[in-house]
Amino acid sequence: MENIHACFRLEWPGFCLDLDLTLPLTGVTALFGPSGSGKTTLLRCIAGLERAPHGRLTVAGEIWQDTRHWVPTYQRPLGYVFQEASLFSHLTVDGNLNYGIRRISTTARVSMEHAIELLGISQLLDRKPDRLSGGERQRVAIARALAVNPRLLLMDEPLAALDLKRKQEILPYLERLHDELKIPVLYVSHSPDEVARLADHLVVMETGRVLADGPLVQTLARLDLPIHLGEDIGTIIETTVGAVDDEWHLMRVDFPGGNLWARDSGVPVGHRVRVRVLARDVSLADRLGHSSIQNVLNGIVDGIGDDQHPGLALVRVKVGEAMLVARLTKRAAASLELQVGKQVWVQVKSVALLE
Amino acid sequence: MPLSDSDLLAIWLSLRLAGTVTLVLLLVGTPIAWWLARTRGWWKGPIGAVVALPLVLPPSVLGFYLLVAMGPSGPIGRLTQSLGLGLLPFTFWGLVVASVIYSLPFMVQPLQTAFEAIGDRPLEVAATLRASPLDAFFTVAVPLALPGFLTASILTFTHTVGEFGVVLMIGGNLAGITRVASVLIYDHVEALEYTEAHRLAALMLIFSFLVLLAVYAWRPNPKKGS
Amino acid sequence: MMKSLFLVLCCLWLAESAAWAEKITVAAAADLKFAMDELVSVFKNANPGAQVDVVYGSSGNFYSQIKEGAPYDLFFSADITYPEQLVTGGLAASDVKPYAFGRIVLWSGSLDASRMTLESLADPKIARIAIANPQHAPYGKRAQEALQAAGLWDKIEPKLVYGENIAQTAQFVESGNAQVGIIALSLAVNPELASKGGYWLIPDKLHQPLKQAYVITKRAENNALARRFAEYMGSKPARTVMIKYGFGLPGEGSGNQGNQGSQTQ
Repeated sequence: MENIHACFRLEWPGFCLDLDLTLPLTGVTALFGPSGSGKTTLLRCIAGLERAPHGRLTVAGEIWQDTRHWVPTYQRPLGYVFQEASLFSHLTVDGNLNYGIRRISTTARVSMEHAIELLGISQLLDRKPDRLSGGERQRVAIARALAVNPRLLLMDEPLAALDLKRKQEILPYLERLHDELKIPVLYVSHSPDEVARLADHLVVMETGRVLADGPLVQTLARLDLPIHLGEDIGTIIETTVGAVDDEWHLMRVDFPGGNLWARDSGVPVGHRVRVRVLARDVSLADRLGHSSIQNVLNGIVDGIGDDQHPGLALVRVKVGEAMLVARLTKRAAASLELQVGKQVWVQVKSVALLE
Repeated sequence: MPLSDSDLLAIWLSLRLAGTVTLVLLLVGTPIAWWLARTRGWWKGPIGAVVALPLVLPPSVLGFYLLVAMGPSGPIGRLTQSLGLGLLPFTFWGLVVASVIYSLPFMVQPLQTAFEAIGDRPLEVAATLRASPLDAFFTVAVPLALPGFLTASILTFTHTVGEFGVVLMIGGNLAGITRVASVLIYDHVEALEYTEAHRLAALMLIFSFLVLLAVYAWRPNPKKGS
Repeated sequence: MMKSLFLVLCCLWLAESAAWAEKITVAAAADLKFAMDELVSVFKNANPGAQVDVVYGSSGNFYSQIKEGAPYDLFFSADITYPEQLVTGGLAASDVKPYAFGRIVLWSGSLDASRMTLESLADPKIARIAIANPQHAPYGKRAQEALQAAGLWDKIEPKLVYGENIAQTAQFVESGNAQVGIIALSLAVNPELASKGGYWLIPDKLHQPLKQAYVITKRAENNALARRFAEYMGSKPARTVMIKYGFGLPGEGSGNQGNQGSQTQ
């Protein structure tokens, strides 16, 4: 029963939320979609900040809402990070962190030192919120949400209100959170970058409905419902840095069944890193030739689908355990005699390291 | 210019009345202001209008109705008699009740504005940090609305000190009980004791000015805070 | 459209100004309320076209206002001292003319005041007694004198509440908040109060006479209507009205002896 089952129906003037969703209670689940798609409303319904009249919500088998039950927000064991830090301006950073701690049972209390260290806010404890930068405030807000030792962490676009520099400042903390804490996270975002970097599970929403949901890698590799995460369709590969070539300023990232070369970004050997490969950067060939393209992998065609333009096709290729999607003209697909199960050479023009 | 004993008694009574009314209104006005700031129901309009009525009603209207209502056959009068409290006109507590009604908007409106300025967000945050609504009210809403509480209390206090018409109509002019400073000034004028009237009136003027000066000078910077 | 409206307004304004010469404003003590209304209507019947506005209030207040230039043409005071001070201060255009003696009565809306005497006020069942403020209201001063003369002041003072003027004192009693009041006879005999309860006339031996007087103010020096109204006050019809409303008249003893308690319901 380690999952969330959410079934909500909510009608407001000009907006309707209607979904029935089962989400895993592990890792980071991204709720992705354009603004107005209902992702924040869904998160607020799960937190109990919004009450869908016909709703049902169970978390790890516990009923939080159905026709007869309603657990108010303050009795739900969750943490919530809002888009704006929303720190209590009358309290110091320390006071903000302790606000929730004092309200949970002593047995449930966890040491804050780790969270404070994780988010790098130990120098700020005595300050009032108006003396903090935007990035610092948001880090404190995240630590404050963690302080109540939540069974589920809800984050509503925690980076959206920050400029690019501040985003870059916080993202590493979120990644550490992901890697080091075992708290399941529901993460609302409309930023492809954040989703690609942080999510394990993806829920794509549009106008109050769920378009697709499933594990991130598989969902992004779907051909029946191509998901534009950003400017193009693309897949994600979980890799480990395997080697660094100082002479050519390159690094090799390994994944089960293959490896790719990318520009050296300074990530040390042995570190895990996600890479994204866009469909337009992948081409297919039936024999090896000499080319400027360094990354050539051997794979098996896993699926063929239509792209938006009638002359284009999307071809999914399995390389070891990784999935890649290539975009090519239907004529090219025909001349290569592509079909599911056929062995092909995959040429990858560009690899984006997500960090 | 020394003040006479009766002047001092009246000033002390004014301050005691204003202090009592401020305390009572903090207790009575806060929930009303909170409700008005938070509710979206259609009752908000009518209740808000009733609360604001004393702002526009002449004190004579209030005084007249209060005297009738508190009298032996009025609803308040019957209630207080059945509770064994006797009748309220010509008593200190009668003035308190009248002043609470008369000064109600001066407490409720600044508080309502302060509560509305807080918005929903801090209370939602408090709820996600395990604070029950009542808990969140005392630990988040009240501290954040503290400047509003201060302004409301000062305005209520000053307005009660400056009250005249209602007190005149239901007070009965009893020294130490209902003869407050503003009424005593009137008595001095009526008795052609202009020197005494001047003394007390000037004191009231300076007092009111200083209090308002404090309120305006202490305005917190609205740009601050997150 | 605007033009014709403007013309009409101008005509009205001119008409108003033309009538202005035939207009007076009378400042009258609160105890005259009912008597003066009738006096004015009788006067108007005899003087068609005359406009007489009456403002009622406390005599002390009127005195202060006239000193500061208030637009009153005649001042009917409940206490002769105020008009006297106006004459002394050069603010009057006539001598001080006494027009009546006021009388005070015990009145109640809830008890039968006609069977009371001043001694009844000491009854513990009576918790609140209203009188006008003796500090500045003439009727209040006389009430205090009467209570003192009867040797009751010390006993009764703790029960007293003070009306700002004699009309407010009556209202305290009328609303039941005070069980008994000492008010002007002229108020007790008017239908509004007479229908609610009877009165007991307090013997005038117990207090200084409530000598009431009027003056024409300086600003009405050349106002013919003001003079005519003053003359009318000494006429037979005016005196009849005054007696009807419970005032004693100068040169006729301090009257209305006949109807003590007669208004009992």
